[in-house]
Amino acid sequence: MKVYIAFCNKSFIRGLSYRSEVWLRILGNMVLIFIQVSIWKSLIGNSESNGITLLNMITYSVITTSVMNLLMTRVFLSIDHKLKSGDISTDLQKPISYPLYLFAEQLGVVGFQVVFTTIPSICISILLFGIQYPDAPNIVPFIISLLLAMIISYLLGYLIALISFWFLTTFALNWTITALISIFSGSLIPLWFFNPFWANLTSTLPFQYLGFVPSAIYLGKVEHPYYIILEGVGWVIGLLLIVNLLWWRAIKRLVIQGG
Amino acid sequence: MEIIKINKLVKEYRTNKRYTGTFGALKTLFSKEYICNKAVDEISFVINEGDSIGYLGPNGAGKSTMIKMLTGILVPTSGDIQVNGMIPYKNRKEIAKKIGVVFGQRSQLWWDLPVIDSFELHKYIYKISEYDYRSKIEEFVELMDMKDFLNKPVRQLSLGQRMRAEIALALLHSPTILFLDEPTIGLDVLAKHNIRKFLRNINKQKNVAVFLTTHDLKDIEEICDRIIIVNQGKSVFDGHILQLKKDTGTMNKRVTIEFYTDPGQLQISNAKLISDEGVRKKYEFIHTDIQGAGVMKSIMGIKHQDKIKDISIEEMSIEEIIHKVFVNLNQNIEIRV
Repeated sequence: MKVYIAFCNKSFIRGLSYRSEVWLRILGNMVLIFIQVSIWKSLIGNSESNGITLLNMITYSVITTSVMNLLMTRVFLSIDHKLKSGDISTDLQKPISYPLYLFAEQLGVVGFQVVFTTIPSICISILLFGIQYPDAPNIVPFIISLLLAMIISYLLGYLIALISFWFLTTFALNWTITALISIFSGSLIPLWFFNPFWANLTSTLPFQYLGFVPSAIYLGKVEHPYYIILEGVGWVIGLLLIVNLLWWRAIKRLVIQGG
Repeated sequence: MEIIKINKLVKEYRTNKRYTGTFGALKTLFSKEYICNKAVDEISFVINEGDSIGYLGPNGAGKSTMIKMLTGILVPTSGDIQVNGMIPYKNRKEIAKKIGVVFGQRSQLWWDLPVIDSFELHKYIYKISEYDYRSKIEEFVELMDMKDFLNKPVRQLSLGQRMRAEIALALLHSPTILFLDEPTIGLDVLAKHNIRKFLRNINKQKNVAVFLTTHDLKDIEEICDRIIIVNQGKSVFDGHILQLKKDTGTMNKRVTIEFYTDPGQLQISNAKLISDEGVRKKYEFIHTDIQGAGVMKSIMGIKHQDKIKDISIEEMSIEEIIHKVFVNLNQNIEIRV
């Protein structure tokens, strides 16, 4: 276990090696929030739409943008790079669990983002726009939903990485998954504005956990938060099974075909 | 004690057949034809504790494939393979604790972090005790002169410094064998010298077996006692450098004698004239048992002693020997199997 904490720690420290990036990220986050807030201001104004107020939407934008910082789908970039350079073989030579190592590494990256990007962005947003605070009973499910967002995004990213063992490139997959996440996670448009067909489709996919679910729970817009969390846990288990199966096959392929 | 034992090891790669041209490229997309080629073809050898082996061969001879199989990241097509009494590809993580690996063209160090951070991670990966870790670090810093850059980020190191750090990292968990794939590639003369001296040291003093592939034959000459030459997947020579010299007839010594004035035709016992520029004559001593003293005696025996200005005796360099081996190989003459 110590080794994974060490990986997480080093990965966190590594974030500090490029200082200017910290400022640029906060700026990028703020631009994203500002654009969304402007859009909702002009769309909703001072009226209400389906029981959703402007303050709801500002809060929603801040939360989804912050949740995006927590996502670990980028784990495939790390594997993609290692597959192409052949570094994967040196990584596999270490007496550690490779998936756990990657998770620890990503956790360090996310930890760094939270401290140096997300928290400052939220503070600035509170000062600039003001956000809604959650009702007490929603706090615990909200935190659990954040964990789910991290784990599901990691598993999805890892799944892409594993598929790339066969295709040896992630470009097309990356394109697809980014599109799927930006629409079906509800990061840009909340699911309650979707028409029934799309809303139903979206609720059967895991992507909603990467944006919509945490934000909606925070705002108290989910009737049975624990039920949706349970479903999310189901997704985690399902994805874990697929990923394990694929990992086993990918390793077999790697060791037979060579890196 | 045997630490590596391989017997009739074969590794076959299957690659999709490629077609040339635009239509060929399209055909490649759908074709299911394969081309098989043997990167390693029935190679057998045994490596004992504390051995130092140079694994040589032209590009594409299957050297890296061999290292990958020995370290357990490639499964052989057929044949037996044992490292530290275990089958590498079945016990990848167990084997990893007993071996160290350095790839000259790859890095195991964390690029953006100080060198010491990568060492610290290795301490956790290999569960090295704090005491062992401290004493190892102290030892390597001393031996490899790493004090100046231990706290610098890896991206700021020179290649020579980085390679020293890579080797120290690979040795941190006290492996019984160290695999090196072209460790001196791209280094300057001084850096190469330091790396070689260090590798020689840990091999002789710490009894760590060294398995090295390289294209720089000086590496082999200075580090390895035994060489294995492979070509097109097959082992063509396995033995001591002296044996190779005997086998290829490259034990012969060459003597260049420079005269003040041309002495004309001149015979030297046991030697053959190979070039004659008048005042400068080159001879080759053919008998393998003739040492430097014998050569001197023969030269003392020639006439016109007073006309001799200078004498130089040279041995064939390892580069020449291997060159000769490779040329022979291309003419399909096998020295020994």
